[in-house]
Amino acid sequence: MSNDILFLAEFSGGSPARSGLELATGAAELASQSGGSAVALAYGAGAASGAAALGAHGATRAIVLGDEDRPPITYAPAAVAAARDAGLALLAPATPNGRDLAAALVGLLDLPAFGPVRAVRVVDGLVETEQATLQGSVITTARPADGAPTPAVVLVLANTFTPAEGGSGTAEVTEASAADESALTRATVAESHEAEAKVVNLEEATIIVAGGRGVGGEEGFGPLRELASALGGAVGASRAAADAGWIPYQLQIGQTGKVVKPALYIGAGISGAIQHRVGMQTAEHVIAINKDPDAPIGEFADLFVVGDLFQIIPALTEEIRRRKGA
Amino acid sequence: MKIVVCIKQVPATGADKRYTDDLRLDRAAAEAIINPLDEYAIEQALRLADAGAAESVTYLSMGPDQAAEALRRALAMGGDDAVLVSDPALAGADEWGTAKVLAAALDKLAPDVALMGMASDDARGSLVPGAVAAMRDVPLLSYGAELAVSDGEARVRRLSATGYDWVGAPMPVVASVTDQVGEPRYASLKGIMAAKRKPMETWSLEDLGLSADDLRGAALTQVTDARAPEAKAPTERLENLPAAEAAAKIADWLAARKLI
Amino acid sequence: MTYLPTADHDELRAVVRELADERIAPRAAEIDSSGEFPWDLKELLAKQDLLGTCFAEKHGGTALDTIAQSILVEEIARADATTSLIPIVQKLGALPILLAGSEEQQDRYLPRLASGEWLAAFALTEAAAGSDVASNRMRATRDGDDYVLNGSKRFITHGSVAQLLTVFALTDPEQGGRKGMSAFIVETDTPGFAAPRVEHKMGIRGSPTAELTFDDVRVPSANRLGEEGEGFKIAMATLDRSRLGIAAQAVGIAQGALDASVAYAADRQQFGQRVSDFQGIQWMLADMASQTEAARQLTYAAAARVDANASDLPYWTSSAKLVAGDTAMRVTTDAVQVLGGYGYITEYPVERMMRDAKITQLYEGTQQIQRLIVARQLLQRAGVAARG
Repeated sequence: MSNDILFLAEFSGGSPARSGLELATGAAELASQSGGSAVALAYGAGAASGAAALGAHGATRAIVLGDEDRPPITYAPAAVAAARDAGLALLAPATPNGRDLAAALVGLLDLPAFGPVRAVRVVDGLVETEQATLQGSVITTARPADGAPTPAVVLVLANTFTPAEGGSGTAEVTEASAADESALTRATVAESHEAEAKVVNLEEATIIVAGGRGVGGEEGFGPLRELASALGGAVGASRAAADAGWIPYQLQIGQTGKVVKPALYIGAGISGAIQHRVGMQTAEHVIAINKDPDAPIGEFADLFVVGDLFQIIPALTEEIRRRKGA
Repeated sequence: MKIVVCIKQVPATGADKRYTDDLRLDRAAAEAIINPLDEYAIEQALRLADAGAAESVTYLSMGPDQAAEALRRALAMGGDDAVLVSDPALAGADEWGTAKVLAAALDKLAPDVALMGMASDDARGSLVPGAVAAMRDVPLLSYGAELAVSDGEARVRRLSATGYDWVGAPMPVVASVTDQVGEPRYASLKGIMAAKRKPMETWSLEDLGLSADDLRGAALTQVTDARAPEAKAPTERLENLPAAEAAAKIADWLAARKLI
Repeated sequence: MTYLPTADHDELRAVVRELADERIAPRAAEIDSSGEFPWDLKELLAKQDLLGTCFAEKHGGTALDTIAQSILVEEIARADATTSLIPIVQKLGALPILLAGSEEQQDRYLPRLASGEWLAAFALTEAAAGSDVASNRMRATRDGDDYVLNGSKRFITHGSVAQLLTVFALTDPEQGGRKGMSAFIVETDTPGFAAPRVEHKMGIRGSPTAELTFDDVRVPSANRLGEEGEGFKIAMATLDRSRLGIAAQAVGIAQGALDASVAYAADRQQFGQRVSDFQGIQWMLADMASQTEAARQLTYAAAARVDANASDLPYWTSSAKLVAGDTAMRVTTDAVQVLGGYGYITEYPVERMMRDAKITQLYEGTQQIQRLIVARQLLQRAGVAARG
């Protein structure tokens, strides 16, 4: 049984997703605990040429599953061929694409699956994970059952690992071996619609300013954008704002939207219902601004500012710009 | 076109939830409901049935006997019949175990679309749809804001990084849908009364052709510890300050934490 | 006779409570402050088949037992008393047809009531004839194959929004109300009918309480219920059953006030502890809870008797309405007390619940009338004819 730590590295438009860099770092950390190597399973447009650079973030080897722009789930059979008995753990990003690929591996290889985890380590030659369950009310520690096949699939949220900077290695790149036939490859994109405005990937943002029902309308997001810009962060929203059409659904944070783990989350005009909370509760620092002193978000925020967001946010933006300018 | 909607009975949101001494989710302790995200799958299936695109809607659930309540509630919203897979060997099943059982049951029911919600309230991996598709060797169409069928093909409208795509595959498929499907209907009183007369079967592992050995204890993972999260520092509150003063204090707070 | 709620009853309660919590409770404050009839909630209730529970399946209803009907009203009233009047008055307006209508009349009208397409109302009370029903003055004069109705009614719940009224008028004024009154089905789009004004009220403000005028309103004799002169009897038989709906409403209002009080007391801190930690408050909450439960159980006992067609049915329904109405007033008043200053302001629901509760001591027979009915039955059992 191999002590290697595998990880999924998704590429699109020629570049690696930030999750690939984060998981490379994480895999390298675990590999040092297990005595093996960090091995990337790279897929998507640009994987063939970009896989070697994963070495700079800790990958020793990279297996290229394919270089085409197609639904990630269709890479599952190739991933299976590369992953079977090939390591102790396989780290997958806890994004829709990552979860689908992870799920396919679980189903095709009967693998134990964990996560999304808040910590993962190798203990006594086995993977051990920590995850928050029951909407954050219980922290469980888990490991594979005795005799379970390997690798163990571990879902990892964005910003759990910080990509190592300044590394210089290159990963040794190989092609994936031939994959078995699978119906999973039959999903195809029939139509593709691009939105007019470019939308930031919230999962990669380290600072997020999010707006909810209290923002009142599309124009209400203007001050939030200014604040996000002053902080160097991104704008997000609750489901209420997305349903109302004030911002695109790609910016919705929550159980059915993006799950984010920024260093700073500022929620304005957001009440903090559980469906939103599970999307951001692992943020390192949470500030809430709401005119309702009893809003549930006040119970789990680190700093709760009761007041009018339309007064406070512009004032805060000005204050931050002033301090940064000085 | 036949749809099977997989649903799960979960503890009610906000109910007192906890783990038992042997580190399993204590399902008896809390009031039980249909997993809220599964209601969107039910709603999507019923819309297709209302439009005449689906001839039958069957509900499938794996759980203890009590899970039959969730199936009755689903039948009260609409649909034709239900199957409960219940077996003592399945207590403590993890996502893999659940997928294995559902996959076997779905193979037996042979729907054109096996439809699921995108995640469950208690487990959070969202792995069951993909694992089931892989085990059954059928295409997966996941995270659909909408599901459509025509000419032997199923399609989902799926958010992409910059907009949305329609992703399709020839049926049979496994599909999962999000809450963007639209508000699930309430069960009407006539629906509730009709539900009592709709057929519901209970299957054991044997009925699926599975043995307890096949299921390896229904879980490939084991929980070794369950504890309360670290106590969070109490929330600092700023109330009714003039905007400029609030802004200064927030900026100080951010600076102290090196966020600006 | 046993009347424990069944699993079906529990399921019905859970379903209606979910609907009430999600869709009705959030509208309650606005309905009260605007005084507007909640047409959206009427549509919702109709769509969920909740307006047809007292009608037979052949008419499109769901024929629930009376305990189930009470549970339905209770759970809606817990969220909003005004909205709970929609199923209550639908039954009240339909009862004369259910009790005294011919099969033809029932087939003609009940389906539209069961589906909620039409609303019904019960038009008995007049400006000078409230408790004293027999001194009604409205007339129904025979003219060929029709009756011509002239007069006015007052305090008619939903009279201005209903499509169908069951109206009581004197066909034989010489005989007076007890023997000379008849009952009619009147469609409100009949020429000569008008609902010129609605009252401004202390509570149930979203429920229109209307004055109705009948100016040569022509009604076919096929719309008369029962025989001429049976009106009083039909009215009393109706009220003997419909007042149970008010009992259920009162229980629901009390429960809503109790739930709000418990939640507040458990959350609010004064003098370094939760308000609910004070014995004095615990005693108040305990009294509120046990009295609400007693009213509830008496209502179910009465409901079981209605279904069993007990001969002393009025004793039971009047007792239930009497106890429940007084309980609702007491519990809601105590709820305002538990919430203190916050109980007096409109940001919290209990002041509205207290204003809403008062009507349960007044309509469908004042508490004083209920006491007369109960006393009469008591004394009858003891072999003494009651005077008065």
